[in-house]
Amino acid sequence: MGAFEYRQATEIRDALARHGVKYLFLGKSGAILLGFPDTTQDADLFVEKSSENGRALADALKELGFELTEEQCEDLERGKDLVQLKNGPFDLDVIYAPDGIESFADAWKRHVEVEGFPVCHIDDIIASKEAANRVRDRESLPRLRAFREWLRNRQP
Amino acid sequence: MRTSHTPEDLDNIPAEWWQEFDAAARRPLATRFRYAFIHTYKPVLDDARYRAFTTMKEYRDWCDRNLPSWLGYGRV
Repeated sequence: MGAFEYRQATEIRDALARHGVKYLFLGKSGAILLGFPDTTQDADLFVEKSSENGRALADALKELGFELTEEQCEDLERGKDLVQLKNGPFDLDVIYAPDGIESFADAWKRHVEVEGFPVCHIDDIIASKEAANRVRDRESLPRLRAFREWLRNRQP
Repeated sequence: MRTSHTPEDLDNIPAEWWQEFDAAARRPLATRFRYAFIHTYKPVLDDARYRAFTTMKEYRDWCDRNLPSWLGYGRV
């Protein structure tokens, strides 16, 4: 398994769009799309929880080369809070209920688009890390908050 | 939404971070991806091709019980 590449990001963006999946990039992968210079290992997708959306996601992922059993597709359709996929061309975390974000609808209202990639607002990315409160999040939060300040200063 | 922004944050931002943010903004997205996404083996976490957790609490508890602390997935 190699690192997540830009080409793969465009492929997943395009496949999810074709299948009508409603989702947002979250976590450090989302921050990187916003311009945050740091490293990470996988992509995190915050997906709207509905059986229709979950089924569309499963279909798109299979098209991209993820080897999903019918039972695993049902997990996506049911919207288990977190599904970790390492059975495809890149590692992917599918999150239906991230810590620190009230609802997908709220996050969607605030989201930003970066070259066609739907991305959570930096406030939501930070809020989810604050709520998760893991050691790794504590380490990355000061720099993420500084990046938020930089974004605020940059925007007109 | 819970945030912990305070006005004094801005004064405490190291100058080199600000410069890194400026530099990153000048790079095309494809280049930012190449610099950002890496892959290293993470014990236990990478040893299964698929995992699903019904709740985030179940996931956090699993991380606390199963992952080496140095990976940083444990709660503070």
